[in-house]
Amino acid sequence: MKRKLNHTIKSLALALLFLSGCRDPFEPEVTDQDISLLVVEGFIETGGEGSEIILSRTNPIRSNQNFLPESGASVFLKSENGEEWVFQEAQAGVYTVSASFDQGLKYQLGINLRNGQQYLSEPMTPIVTPEIEELGYLRDEAGVEIFVSTKGNEEAQYFLWDYEEDWIFRPGVRSQFFFNPATKDVEFRKADQKIDLCWKSNLFPKIILQNASRFQDNTILQRELVRIPLESEKLMQRYSINVRQRAINQETYDFWEILRKNSDDIGGIFSPLPSLIRGNMKSLDPNGNNVIGMVSMGKSTSKRIYIDVEDVAPWPYFIQEYEFCKLDQDTVLVADYEREFASGSRLPVIPVVVVTTTIGFRAATRQCTDCTLRGTNIKPDFWED
Amino acid sequence: MNRLIILLVFCVICFIPKSWAQETKRAEERISGLFPGLSFPRFAQQIESQTSYKFYFSQEDVADLIVNISAKDNTIRQVLDGVFDGKDLKYSIDDKNRIFITKGKALETSLPLDFFTQVSELEKDSILRQSDINRAFSRNKLYVIGKADNSGKTEAVLRGKVTGLETGNPVFGAVIFEKVNYTRAIANQDGQFEIKLPIGRHTIFIQNLGGFVEQRQISLQGDGVLDVAIEENIISLSEVTISSEKMTNISRPEMGVQKLNMETMRQIPAILGEVDIIRSILTLPGVQTVGEASVGFNVRGGAADQNLILFNHATIYNPSHLFGLFSAFNPDLVESVDLYKAGIPVQYGGRLSSVLDVHAKYGNDEKITVRGGIGLLTSRISVEGPVGEKTTFALGARSTYSDWLLDILEENTDFKDGRANFYDLNLNVSHKLNDKNIIRLNTYGSNDSFGFDRDTTFMYQNRSINLGWTHYFSDRLEGEFVAGRDHYQFDIEGRDNPSNSYDFGFGIKQDFFKANFSYEYDLRHTFTFGLNTIRYRLNPGFIEPAGPESIVIPEEVNPEQALETSIYIGDNFEVTDEFSINFGMRYAVYNYLGPNTVREYKPGLPISPPNLVGETTFNNGQTIKTYSGPEFRISARYSLNNISSIKAGYNTNRQFIHLLTNNAAIAPTDIWKLSDPNIRPQWGDQVSIGYYRNIKVDKYEFSVEAYHRNMKNLIDFRSGASLILNNAIEQSVLRTDGRAYGAEFLLRKNTGKLNGWISYTYSRSLLRTAQDEMAEKINGGEWYPNNFDQPHNAVLVGNYALSKRFSTSINANYSTGRPITLPVAKFNYGGSERVYFSNRNAYRIPDYFRIDFSINIEGNHKVKKLAHSSWSIGVYNLLGRRNPYSVYFTPVNGILQGYQLSIFAEPIPFITYNFRI
Repeated sequence: MKRKLNHTIKSLALALLFLSGCRDPFEPEVTDQDISLLVVEGFIETGGEGSEIILSRTNPIRSNQNFLPESGASVFLKSENGEEWVFQEAQAGVYTVSASFDQGLKYQLGINLRNGQQYLSEPMTPIVTPEIEELGYLRDEAGVEIFVSTKGNEEAQYFLWDYEEDWIFRPGVRSQFFFNPATKDVEFRKADQKIDLCWKSNLFPKIILQNASRFQDNTILQRELVRIPLESEKLMQRYSINVRQRAINQETYDFWEILRKNSDDIGGIFSPLPSLIRGNMKSLDPNGNNVIGMVSMGKSTSKRIYIDVEDVAPWPYFIQEYEFCKLDQDTVLVADYEREFASGSRLPVIPVVVVTTTIGFRAATRQCTDCTLRGTNIKPDFWED
Repeated sequence: MNRLIILLVFCVICFIPKSWAQETKRAEERISGLFPGLSFPRFAQQIESQTSYKFYFSQEDVADLIVNISAKDNTIRQVLDGVFDGKDLKYSIDDKNRIFITKGKALETSLPLDFFTQVSELEKDSILRQSDINRAFSRNKLYVIGKADNSGKTEAVLRGKVTGLETGNPVFGAVIFEKVNYTRAIANQDGQFEIKLPIGRHTIFIQNLGGFVEQRQISLQGDGVLDVAIEENIISLSEVTISSEKMTNISRPEMGVQKLNMETMRQIPAILGEVDIIRSILTLPGVQTVGEASVGFNVRGGAADQNLILFNHATIYNPSHLFGLFSAFNPDLVESVDLYKAGIPVQYGGRLSSVLDVHAKYGNDEKITVRGGIGLLTSRISVEGPVGEKTTFALGARSTYSDWLLDILEENTDFKDGRANFYDLNLNVSHKLNDKNIIRLNTYGSNDSFGFDRDTTFMYQNRSINLGWTHYFSDRLEGEFVAGRDHYQFDIEGRDNPSNSYDFGFGIKQDFFKANFSYEYDLRHTFTFGLNTIRYRLNPGFIEPAGPESIVIPEEVNPEQALETSIYIGDNFEVTDEFSINFGMRYAVYNYLGPNTVREYKPGLPISPPNLVGETTFNNGQTIKTYSGPEFRISARYSLNNISSIKAGYNTNRQFIHLLTNNAAIAPTDIWKLSDPNIRPQWGDQVSIGYYRNIKVDKYEFSVEAYHRNMKNLIDFRSGASLILNNAIEQSVLRTDGRAYGAEFLLRKNTGKLNGWISYTYSRSLLRTAQDEMAEKINGGEWYPNNFDQPHNAVLVGNYALSKRFSTSINANYSTGRPITLPVAKFNYGGSERVYFSNRNAYRIPDYFRIDFSINIEGNHKVKKLAHSSWSIGVYNLLGRRNPYSVYFTPVNGILQGYQLSIFAEPIPFITYNFRI
């Protein structure tokens, strides 16, 4: 409700702008100095599934670089009774460990950087996340809403969800053929060469937070996670969402809430002032640099659902890249195959058959036929048809 | 030719001995004859032939002049006066009977008397002003005449001489009288008079026939002498009033006081054509705002909630309509506005930074007058006048029809259902029971309601009523008793869908009683003393379901109650004519009252849930916590001479009610909070010093004031603080110290066709998390700029009267951009790009600059007509500069994009029609 109120106040600010104000793109003269703070992100799974700690550095605000991994650090977890687990750097900046941890103990994460700086987290208490009671969806006039229901308890009152979305999409023009430069002929695609069915996944998922203590029995009923707008390609054939639910403590909840507020709500007339990002990682050197990051521990729980287009039909869809896709009118004759298809910019689509002889192919651009240009034709491991 | 003459004249003047230049009184030659329709050169020729006079003039100047005059034994001056009557030509005659004709200004044929005494500009100014000042001064100054002896005489003789103020000549026939026994005397040929009066105090009136009445306060103790200089010409009363007001700048003991009357405010170009009190005071040095659409204003580095806004005794919690687009005062009902930035008089208290005292009208006692105005967005009407002999009233209403503005936004479907309404109403009545008792009733109400979609409506209201009784106990003791109630509330109605419809509300109600006394002990001491008490009742927020289907859980923050009582005494002590001091003390007692539940925390540890020790519940009316303490108000003035003075002051203030706002600007949905056991009252002090100087006989007024302020127990917010429906606000705030300092320069031109002022202010306002605040240290416990810290601020307000009916005004405003916290680094977290912010307020938004322009056209000046009318046409933000209100970053598809946000980004034209019947 508070959120709703806040939103209401925000819309008031926005409205005022439309009275006579305006919003222009602007690059303030922010210092280009690189403060290069350490960023720690991670959740340590107690159930032995394998946990990741990601170490990176902040970038100057105007840098083009996106992710600056911090390599070569030694990362370890120690329990309150002295046991220690060492993480391995699986890829640059990503440190992993697979182990089961006793739920009843407190743990601290330690990081020793190559430059000699040392960091240690505050003691963490693992929290066991209650199961997702329901992961469902609702078709309404505005599209499809995916929601989650769960029931917290005294230990687990704050919830954090993240999710991965995957879906099948089809290119604007579907082709089963390709030009084989070796044979200089058009051939039928084998199963692993298909380019008319691809999977795509969401790159920028949002983090969703909810405090269950405000509700009776800590029950969260049908909390909206994702909204799929009308005409979205996500539901053109089959869609899948995997939701991970984590119970977190209040500090972690506040941390994420500040991250969210700082990124989403800043700059309006009635927007709150940006807040300090705190975390539970501290430098051992009292004069050491700040560190951004909140590491927590516990047992997460996940659930996956699939939605087929039949479940929500009718579902007209629209993909901007494919808006003007169509089959060429002209036929590329056999003799012209090499000249037309060798570069790969056009692909054969439909054979033109006279009586029983294929005299050529009608073609379309690669952008319209090759779905791998914006997705992958390799079926994800988890995918169920 | 012209130049030759001047050169010639100059040479003549330079070389004639001093004695020649003196006025000589010799018998003038007489002229007789008929001069019909002659050109001036021909007329000059004829005169030259008749007399010894010689004419010097430029052919150009007299080209159009036709002389038509008949003379019989007239002096040359009489003849020339007739010839030049109504023309822009002046003449002067020197002692050699040479007549110089010039355009515009008469040629000086003699040197000024002080030509060889080398009087400096400053002295001249001082001398010129002396006469002016003496006049105003002497009117009220007490002259002690004669020496008291014990001879038992009951009467004494007052002798004196009446002279002209400008000429110094004796005034023959001036009447000297006193009004109690109607004793009178008449000045003789030498201006001398003699009048016999009883020993004691008198007001003596001196009047030149048909001239202005001068007055003197005397305390006659024995025979003595009183010389009086009086104005010889008829002058209007109003001019004198103005000049005595001008003097107050240098002579009043308080400092940091700004008075604005409606006349001045009317000349400042107003947005949307309405005279706006809040916008007008923003043109004064030391008054700033964070942005154009903000409700509040900041005085000398103080937060917006530190201003006490009074409207005829009523405290106005939200002084604006439509998020600050308009101020909530109907300009036709306002008489004048006093803003106290320092030297806050001892009868005011409860806020740290300033007092804005808006005086509303009670109506004139002559005739019913109707005023009104019709603008693009608002209209207003007011009626004032007498009812019977003893009662006057002023009634005003104002409303908007701005819906059409929102209608034109229809293309933007988000706001097609937008609507905005406001109105305000005033009724003030004054009733004179008798000479000693006056009763005044003040009522005020304002209402705002707006929504930008079908689902949500915002509303806020001010309601005030108070009744005052002024009683004159004696000539010296005056008492004023006021009791009343002020009410402010806001509501949000959410009607998104039936299941989550809600009503959210906040309200503040205060009942107050004031007793103010003023006692003129003698001419040197004036005491003020009294008692103020306020009973606060706060409803800090509630939410409840609306409609039967709503599943919203009702929630309410505990209501709060408190009693603030203060007593005060002050003395305005005129130690000598040069030195006066105004000092006083105020003692405030604040009781936080039950029913309520308060939380206790472990002392010395952060106020946060882990350190919660326990809760105590108090019953209705039980005192939960008492805060008390003195406040000091001292200011002193020392006159260096007639035209300049220095002043210094020190004052302290306490504030028990705080506005909780986590934004840069005040939002109409911000809530107030009373001091409680965990949130201490704010305390502040201010030291200020100033120099005041009037230049060119009050034509210009210059002042510079410097100040330094300390503030304690201000409120800042912890990271991620949520203020809505929060029962434990103390867990979200940080105790903060404040510091502000600056200097204000003001040069003002009061008279002439071109008038206005230029001001420049240098000011800083800084905050620091209190040393003993453990919860969080903003910027590592270092000083950081306040949200409204704008070091440089310059304002130009200029009015130029092209004619009596046509005038133009310009207002230019520059200030340093306000501080802002900007992202300085970015990083990936939780799958999205996030930003890391700089230290609090480490950067600034671009500077602010705006010019407004307006033209005022008065209707004709015919005596008989339906209504006096005037038009006001102008443009707000003439340059259309897109002054950024804010700068921010937000990820768009995961990539950070910077934006600047401006309000009133285009020139906004306006037109308003005003009338008076």
